[in-house]
Amino acid sequence: MAEVYKLIHPVKYFNDYINRNVRPDGRKFDDQRDIKLNVNAIKSADASAVVKCGNTTVVCGIKLELAKPKAEEPELGFFVTNVELLPLCSSKFRPGPPSDHAQVVSNVVSDICINSKSVNLKELCIVPDKLAWVVYCDMVCLDNDGSIVDACIITLMTSLKSLTLPKVNYDVETEEIVVDTSVRMPLNITGLPIATSFAVYQQSPRSIVLIDPSADEEEMCGGVGANLIICCNDEQFCGIQKFGGSNLSTEAEKKTLAIAKERSKLVEKVIETCLINEIK
Amino acid sequence: MEIEDENNFKLRPMKCELNYLSRSDGSAILAQGETVVLVSVNGPLDIKSTSQSIEKATLEVLFCTKGGKPSVADRFKENIIRQTCETAILGCLYPRTGISLTIQELEDFGGLLTCTVNCACLALLNSGIAMRHMVAAVCCAVSEEGNLVLEPSYTQVQSASALLYFVFDSRERNLVTGFTEGSFSENTYEEALARCRLASDVVFDFYRDIVKQYSDVI
Repeated sequence: MAEVYKLIHPVKYFNDYINRNVRPDGRKFDDQRDIKLNVNAIKSADASAVVKCGNTTVVCGIKLELAKPKAEEPELGFFVTNVELLPLCSSKFRPGPPSDHAQVVSNVVSDICINSKSVNLKELCIVPDKLAWVVYCDMVCLDNDGSIVDACIITLMTSLKSLTLPKVNYDVETEEIVVDTSVRMPLNITGLPIATSFAVYQQSPRSIVLIDPSADEEEMCGGVGANLIICCNDEQFCGIQKFGGSNLSTEAEKKTLAIAKERSKLVEKVIETCLINEIK
Repeated sequence: MEIEDENNFKLRPMKCELNYLSRSDGSAILAQGETVVLVSVNGPLDIKSTSQSIEKATLEVLFCTKGGKPSVADRFKENIIRQTCETAILGCLYPRTGISLTIQELEDFGGLLTCTVNCACLALLNSGIAMRHMVAAVCCAVSEEGNLVLEPSYTQVQSASALLYFVFDSRERNLVTGFTEGSFSENTYEEALARCRLASDVVFDFYRDIVKQYSDVI
């Protein structure tokens, strides 16, 4: 019955829940979904991780390649991130070239990585002007049930933390490259950016902030994807994006910053625990 | 003309012309400092049935860079502008129609996106489309030493450790859109937000001055 009601009166259905201070999936406004994280899910990749935040599932695989650095930046390696939202993950996506939304998500994720300065591109350079690592980070969404950026950042950072670079010997004279895969060095990652998504719902006169929104909630709040994404990195912020949805007052905005900080500590613990378990 | 108010907020000089294009329903060209953007608005008009919405008007935003080559970053800009304008427009008055917003970048000397959002708002005002509220975008740079610079110049943008962009509504000065580059502390963010919120008044006053020149009713 509830399913039919949801289809016929989607707004009233949602409002009825919100009026009782509960969300359609039974969470409170400030409850987040459980996170399940698994490192080294893809054995053929150089590093990988799968995360499940509620139903949202994202796989990240990292592939290493060697290349010649750009002439204008001879001391920098390459770090490329890409997010794919395939028709598999939601009925909203069609086969073919990436949709606008997929491009926006990809851009947000890569911006967070650049702004947090977690990966030092200089470390990816082996011999200046001759040889450098290219780190391809491909994230594929298997199931899109909202807060996609959060999930992407968690799998990306977990994969990066577990990534090891093999030793490379480069002979300057003969230009011969010898890769020794038995000696591997971990990549230094400074800080740990963690993104937290929010949806802002206008139920006049109050505006309600929903943490870790599901796809249905994001749609009800009018935005394409989450309305507010806050990315914390060691007490600092490396990206606060707010698009669409209801307008945000000063008090609501302060509250979201505090929540994002708290959640980042929790997610940090999840990632650390997962990595320690993997080593055992 | 340097724009200053009693709180001594110095924004870059703004120059604007409405009805710049003769064949579109509304258009505006806006220069903020040396950054120049041209926006044309057409609509509400007929669009193909797959992109129609029975609840509200569909907003289509096309961002054309000076170089002409579309990129992923342009989709991101289009998304920012579309979502900002969607909250500003009373789209429910024009169901099953489309409103198209075409933006042409003419010069970029920093603060392109604030100039674009402000210009889009002026073009929408010019086109006569019903709006919930106006929007004003203000940019703030955090310099290496941690000082805040409102509406930074090109060199200040290049040397900034962080850039924060905010868009406010004209009714309660609430945050409509915000996005950031670089990393910064919570205090910096709060202060930048408060200063940009005050500075948005200058932009709204500018809108009033411009619209006054084109209409004798107000």
